[in-house]
Amino acid sequence: MSFSLSTLIQQIINGLSLGSVYALIAVGYSLVYSILLFSNFAHGGFLVVGGYACYFLLTQWGYNTAVSMAGALAASGLVAVLTERLAYKPIRERTPITLYLLIASMGVNIVIENIFVVTVGGRIRALPQSTFPTGVFELGGGVTVSASDILSLVVAAVFLVLLQLFLTRTRWGLAIRAAACDLRTAGLMGVNVTFLIALVFFVAGLLAAVGGIFLSVRYSLYPQLGSITTKAFIAAVIGGLGSLPGAVLGSLILGLAEMLTAGFISSQMRDLVVYSLLVLILLVRPAGFFGRTAGEKI
Amino acid sequence: MAGTGKSLLEARDLRVNYGAITALSGFSLSLMEGEIVSVIGANGAGKSTFMNALMGMVKLAGGTILLDGCPLSTRTWKAVQCGLALVPEGRRVFAPLTVEENLRIGAFTRREADIQEDLDWVFSLFPRLKERLGQYAGTLSGGEQQMLAIARALMARPRVLLLDEPSLGLAPIVIRDIFKELRRINEQGVSILLVEQNAKQALLLSHRAYVLQTGRLLKEGNSKDLLQDPDIRAAYLGQGAGRGAA
Ligand SMILES: Nc1ncnc2c1ncn2[C@@H]1O[C@H](COP(=O)(O)OP(=O)(O)OP(=O)(O)O)[C@@H](O)[C@H]1O
Ligand SMILES: [Mg+2]
Repeated sequence: MSFSLSTLIQQIINGLSLGSVYALIAVGYSLVYSILLFSNFAHGGFLVVGGYACYFLLTQWGYNTAVSMAGALAASGLVAVLTERLAYKPIRERTPITLYLLIASMGVNIVIENIFVVTVGGRIRALPQSTFPTGVFELGGGVTVSASDILSLVVAAVFLVLLQLFLTRTRWGLAIRAAACDLRTAGLMGVNVTFLIALVFFVAGLLAAVGGIFLSVRYSLYPQLGSITTKAFIAAVIGGLGSLPGAVLGSLILGLAEMLTAGFISSQMRDLVVYSLLVLILLVRPAGFFGRTAGEKI
Repeated sequence: MAGTGKSLLEARDLRVNYGAITALSGFSLSLMEGEIVSVIGANGAGKSTFMNALMGMVKLAGGTILLDGCPLSTRTWKAVQCGLALVPEGRRVFAPLTVEENLRIGAFTRREADIQEDLDWVFSLFPRLKERLGQYAGTLSGGEQQMLAIARALMARPRVLLLDEPSLGLAPIVIRDIFKELRRINEQGVSILLVEQNAKQALLLSHRAYVLQTGRLLKEGNSKDLLQDPDIRAAYLGQGAGRGAA
């Protein structure tokens, strides 16, 4: 494949679009990490719940796209809250060792995945054609972008801005930022920590659902779709675990790296490039771009 | 402001265990409305455990905590709503948040409409914080951080201000300033419960004091009397200011 400017522009737009979907997933994952200091591997499960909820709301119950998406977001948020309440809270109350939470989250992920395999089957589905824009825009000079790429970019940006506003402009947003710094002390301020953690999981689940829906549109929907979360984890690590701007930056870098590799080298090389990038960045900056080093974290 | 004779906060026979370790074995204390009470004790005496027990941060193995004669919730956020606010050991300001954000999170249980008035109040006590509103709390000096931690607790408009070793790691001159402010805060109607290793400063400030030793009450009385008590002088006031007497 030879270099061409139109391919470059096209792949940059594709990369930003993919990166913005990663960002939705990575930000929720990072948010949970910043509060409870463990990698929530069930995050991929939340994303799958969102994808399937949207699929069935559209196909079985015939709701329109907006209602189906809203329903999917709520469903995934609730599953996230339930997961915390049933699987993590009992562990949190017994031990401060977060490794147990990590292992529990791996278990939850497998459970969610298999619930879908058993109930609706493992086959690959596509969200109905009519519900999301399928057109292609011609930007001139041979540059084409799909409408769904633009839509996912816009929707992701809107959700990220809303999250930022929530965290910086509201009372509970401030409480979450304080808790990310020091959960115990946030409790001393009169913040109901149990509710705060549920809220954080709800937001994380909701964002994961948006990601899950757009991944289903971009690729397709199947019970193992959640494994894409690995990419979001990598993005969060590159950006600096627990840092939200870091998660967004890492996601965009990852999306761009993938799409430029696909455009100029080969699609098969995507993952190789992504993982090499991770190793490289961790060698140079072990805490990621915006990561707190051990010393800064109290 | 001295005590009015009405018991505001009362701890009865508190017991706390950490696994096999007993940190508090039946400690009782009462704080009158308007009073300053201090608890002094060496490292590991159980002072922080006692404060955390009051705030519902550690589980009680026994005993009761009464506020205005009614059992206090064991949930931290409810204790704060009921009028307790703790300045934790080591200050624990939210380093990546600004001074203003730290004060606002302190006012979490308050109504938005009351916050400005409370901000003005804490600025009158600690004018230096007003100059540093936009600064990250982590960049403040140790003394300033302690002022912020106290101001943050006051933003909850507590009836009882609890302080866990406010003198920790501070220069003597800064400690004097802070203790002076504590007296002013008390004069404005806030009852204060203070735990300290710095026995001299604590006894000079407080009306009454309890001496805690390995989870038990060793002695209690008027601070003036304890300052003169030969045993206390030897054990807690021995070397100068009493730090390192442990
Ligand atoms: N989380 C914990 N797990 C196990 N033991 C603990 C824990 N916290 C405190 N302890 C033990 O309980 C006892 C009382 O500790 P505490 O922190 O209350 O003492 P302190 O009087 O505040 O001491 P210092 O002046 O050093 O702050 C100590 O023996 C301590 O080792
Ligand atoms: Mg202590």
